[in-house]
Amino acid sequence: MSRTESENRTADTSNRNSFLNRVAESLGRPRRTDDVTRPDWKHTVHLDTLADSAPEQLVEVLKEQCFFIHTQVIESTPELLQATLDDLIRSYGGGPIIRSGDRRFSRYGLSFPNDFAWSAEAAREENIRQAEAANVAIVFADHALAESGTVVLESRPDQGRALHFLPAHYIAVIERDRIVPRSTQAMAELNRRYENGETLGSCLNLISGPSNSADIEMQLVVGVHGPLKATYVLI
Amino acid sequence: MKVSIFSTCLVDLMFPGVGKDMVEVLERLGCETDFPASQVCCGQPTYNSGYLEESKQAMINMMNAFEHSDYVVGPSGSCVAMFHEYPHIFKGDPDWEMKAIALKEKSFEFTQFIVRVLGITDVGARLEGSATYHRSCHMTRLLGEAETPFMLLEKVDGLQLEPLKNADNCCGFGGTFSVKMPEISEQMVDEKSACVADTGAEYLISADMGCLMNIGGRMSRTGKEIQVMHIAEVLNRIPAEPERRGALEGGAFA
Amino acid sequence: MSLKTDDRKFDARTAAGIEDAFMRGAVGSAQDSLKTRRLTAATALGDWEQWRELGQQIRQHTLENLDYYLGQMADNVERRGGHVFFARTKEEASAYIRDVVQSKNARKVVKSKSMVTEEIEMNHVLMEAGCEVIESDLGEYILQEDDWDPPSHIVAPALHKNRKQIRDVFASKLSYAGDETPEHLARFARDILREKFLEAEIGITGCNFAVANLGAINLVTNEGNGDLTAALPKTHIAVMGMERIVPTLEEMEVLDNLLCRSAVGQKLTSYITVMGPREPGEVDGPEEFHLVVVDNGRSEILASEFHEALQCIRCGACLNVCPVYRHIGGHAYGSIYPGPIGAVITPLLGGYDDYKELPYASSLCGACTDVCPVKIPLHEQLVMHRQNIVSQGRTGVADRVQMKAAGKLLSSPGMFRGTLRVAYSMTRLLSRHGRIVRGPGPIEGWIGIRDMPQPVKKQDGFRSWYEKRERVDRSEVSSMTAADIRKKAPSAHGDFNAAVLPEAGPGRDTSVEEAASPIGKEGRRP
Repeated sequence: MSRTESENRTADTSNRNSFLNRVAESLGRPRRTDDVTRPDWKHTVHLDTLADSAPEQLVEVLKEQCFFIHTQVIESTPELLQATLDDLIRSYGGGPIIRSGDRRFSRYGLSFPNDFAWSAEAAREENIRQAEAANVAIVFADHALAESGTVVLESRPDQGRALHFLPAHYIAVIERDRIVPRSTQAMAELNRRYENGETLGSCLNLISGPSNSADIEMQLVVGVHGPLKATYVLI
Repeated sequence: MKVSIFSTCLVDLMFPGVGKDMVEVLERLGCETDFPASQVCCGQPTYNSGYLEESKQAMINMMNAFEHSDYVVGPSGSCVAMFHEYPHIFKGDPDWEMKAIALKEKSFEFTQFIVRVLGITDVGARLEGSATYHRSCHMTRLLGEAETPFMLLEKVDGLQLEPLKNADNCCGFGGTFSVKMPEISEQMVDEKSACVADTGAEYLISADMGCLMNIGGRMSRTGKEIQVMHIAEVLNRIPAEPERRGALEGGAFA
Repeated sequence: MSLKTDDRKFDARTAAGIEDAFMRGAVGSAQDSLKTRRLTAATALGDWEQWRELGQQIRQHTLENLDYYLGQMADNVERRGGHVFFARTKEEASAYIRDVVQSKNARKVVKSKSMVTEEIEMNHVLMEAGCEVIESDLGEYILQEDDWDPPSHIVAPALHKNRKQIRDVFASKLSYAGDETPEHLARFARDILREKFLEAEIGITGCNFAVANLGAINLVTNEGNGDLTAALPKTHIAVMGMERIVPTLEEMEVLDNLLCRSAVGQKLTSYITVMGPREPGEVDGPEEFHLVVVDNGRSEILASEFHEALQCIRCGACLNVCPVYRHIGGHAYGSIYPGPIGAVITPLLGGYDDYKELPYASSLCGACTDVCPVKIPLHEQLVMHRQNIVSQGRTGVADRVQMKAAGKLLSSPGMFRGTLRVAYSMTRLLSRHGRIVRGPGPIEGWIGIRDMPQPVKKQDGFRSWYEKRERVDRSEVSSMTAADIRKKAPSAHGDFNAAVLPEAGPGRDTSVEEAASPIGKEGRRP
């Protein structure tokens, strides 16, 4: 790959153009480069599902779904959060602990002995090494989806990707007012922010419980490459 | 109500009793029947084998045969489903598209016609014993009729319906599939036969003679005993006179 | 692996599948449990039919404007610092990937499951170039360790293997000393693969959907291997079939819901991730991101009458309900794409020379079409393939002669009446006890495994009965009871049950007491 930048760009443009022209040809019309808008979709089922549920109903839906996805739900309060998390960490066998650098950790006055907070201050390798060594990861959810028992998290300098996958145990704290009915609302919100010119993180994670596989005789194994166990703490 | 009988080629060739029972049931329910004699076959065997042009001639013959009918009723969900495909096959054909739509609109499978058009679910039939019902794929999925046979069978006096495991799996008939891929078809019909036998039912009932010929023929070959009946045969089992009059007074034909 | 997974002929592959009792048991029970799970998950959504129509509309809109959305997506990926390469052929695609890997002087590649990378024979090309390529999906890893045994299902690639076989593979190839408990096998693989993730220089993933307005890709997994593949190595290469794109996150959300429920009966899988080139300030994720968009025959499909096949979101639901797949398994299709969708797209991608049998490996029961979450008319497309195979003269002479004769017969009332007249006598020499026992061509295929009633005599046939009763005074009919009608009618009742019973047949009365006669009692062929 010794081509210069400008040669590269020309090559890229012609590579793309010839390909897309061929697609247009297959569609039997001239190439479309603009003026395509999404049609009105004929159904609104995705918008309607669970849309009229009250917040306390959504909590119930979330809790019920978590049962099916092998995820423990603990109801706590901002005041009890530190104690809840301490108990939980103990039940998972203690540290090492890695957490995101989310400001809510300090807002709720949380602290953990010898924890490591994901941070752009440290090198990539160091963050990954800490995540790999960690027994427990703790994060705050941006949104939670009641229907599917999902936490939504966006990558940021203080919240990397590997944080969610390398530690053996995964704890996500969910503030109750961040529970929405389903993925529809969360994705619509992210898309709205993006279309309004905000930069989203390079990685949007929808995480529903611990990792699992049914690749051996279709028998469910919980805990494969990602975390072996997951808990949501509601506050 | 005037009904043209669509006998289907299997009934014409091998199962006259099915056609006869269908006619008798329809007439007992107050329909006037006729039999357009130029009808042959819906064209499905050649169509499903990929011989489009050859099939179109058979289809055109059927559209002509039933051109003046008010209703067309046949004892096969599969063959009637084929009629329902005609508009798709003749789409854009200036001569035949409208006729294809017309035939589709007036064609009904036998049980579908009784329930959906005549509005009857109790035909006053009586059959003592236990039965299991095989739903044909074409009737259920292509014609979109999954309920009417059950609605009618539930009202058959003395008949106990046993649920069939994996009822929605194909029996392996598939028309020419059964002779072009006999090894695969054999596995499918064996599993179906085993499920049928497991019900312990005395009768195997269906609304499609193709499936019945397949399952029944395999069960016969492998020594599994069951009595195979087309649903028209069941619905034409009416009790002896005094008993039947009772059924009539009970409002069965109101 | 390439599209083609087996050099044997279709019949040999099928026979091997039918003989593999374990595989059939595994596929059968997987189908049964997935059927229930999918149905439960679909029902929970409320109006599933509306969801399907919505999914279909989204896919169709995107395909109709595919050039626009691919262009938009490429602009956005590049704006965010990523690279997009459009590959017309599989050779172009895998060569580009090899060049990227070599430009990094990389030797260690970790992969997550992707059908399109199989299609472009990427692993082969990278291994030729001296790379170690590790499949990190548990099922794919098992197959890789078993000397690259081909996948047999697009979602559960190792469905054909049992735990004992997997234990044996791990024991002989990786010195595994544990038992055959799936948890233990999975934990063992986890430990090995964890090292591979951490040391890999290149991560290669597929792409469930590219999100055009965002310039990102969407991965849907349960194990978490896709995320580790994309997060840890410094270079991430994603490979997508050119049709796998959505306008925005909003449409992705609908399709992901359809995909998860249809594939595995989950509301959402454990990990649904949207990822693109790393943003400034972020710590992990790829420093270099390449997206390879693969045509490899898809634009021909787009231009053809099969274009709806490109709506496919690779959920595998059609495999999970297919009664043919159930009995022959994935390998019998000889393609990395098995089952109904495989029987549709494999001949399109690989040609009729190698795959003309696949469209016939279906009873056209329509279960696939019924279950497809984006409403691809799969069984109709199989018929369309058959039409092409016929019109290209690829069917055998015997088949053509028979079908053309059938076409003539079925469209000619006169010939058909003639047939009804002679059917009984023509089949008399072939029959015994009212049952056909031998015969030419198609009949052989039938009676090899099933009994077949002999056609009835014309005078005992339905048409004769109907004609004769026409002569009865029709005004009587409405007041007649069925019993009266029966008395007036000839008593022929050559139905299936009667036909196989030597003592039954013409002359038998059909009173209630007698009911239908049992078959299988007598006259059974040895």
